[in-house]
Amino acid sequence: MDYNAQLKLQAFLDGELSEAEASEVADLVARDRETAALREELRNTGRALAAFEGGIQLPESREFFWSKVQREIQRLEAPAPKFAPAPLFARWRRLLVPASAFALVFVAAVALIQPVGQAGRTSAADVETALADAGAFTYRDYSAGTTLVWLTYPADNEVAESDEMGTVE
Amino acid sequence: MKLQAFLLWGTDDNKPPEGKAYKPVEPDVLLKLKDLPLKWTSWFEVNRKDFSLAQGETKEVPISEKCKLNLTRYVRHEVEVTLIGKGKEVMKRKQSLPKGEMLVLGGNAPNSTAWLVVLKRLE
Repeated sequence: MDYNAQLKLQAFLDGELSEAEASEVADLVARDRETAALREELRNTGRALAAFEGGIQLPESREFFWSKVQREIQRLEAPAPKFAPAPLFARWRRLLVPASAFALVFVAAVALIQPVGQAGRTSAADVETALADAGAFTYRDYSAGTTLVWLTYPADNEVAESDEMGTVE
Repeated sequence: MKLQAFLLWGTDDNKPPEGKAYKPVEPDVLLKLKDLPLKWTSWFEVNRKDFSLAQGETKEVPISEKCKLNLTRYVRHEVEVTLIGKGKEVMKRKQSLPKGEMLVLGGNAPNSTAWLVVLKRLE
């Protein structure tokens, strides 16, 4: 017996077929032993289910049960609450606190870190120069480790004419 | 602290003046001079002094008849250098001078030449 025939038989037992179809199925049940056996089985199953379903009862009243369902639906459908905008001060504080911390770390790093390539070299803080020569200047070659102090000494009026090197030698 | 002090003469000629037994400048010193903003193309060594300076010590180093250096060594690499020319203090400078570094003092000399006093630390 195919599946569609089985469905038709179930519908016959449920009283859902037209007169013509019900007549066909009744004839088939009378002629065919397999169909008759299936009919009996379906009838017995139906009776058992009806008896089982009859014993189930809700522990609460019907109205109370449905009011709970209704409340849950309303809760799920309620719109999301709008957040009130934070006060201006609070918003600025959220930005300023991390910015201040970063600035503090940056200043500390600049103060503590030595310039690259100048470890052990002369730094401005280590140098004191007293010049009687107002026209003098200083040049520092950090890569070579050389400091040049160029003086206007000897002054031209101190140069001895016979000296090849002025007054230094 | 071991130091060398040189008196150098700079010129655009490729030889020293007649009668002057100037020597060629040491290659490593010459190399550093070339990196300085000095226009002269040739340098010659007029005089050289090698000396040591202990911590806390002050030493007078004559460079020429008219010129001398007064040096004082302080803690670590610090030295104070005073250039005295014809009895007058021309310049005083206190700085750190680590090993291998140089302090170069210089000025113009007659006939478009130049003089340098180079203080180099060896040890």
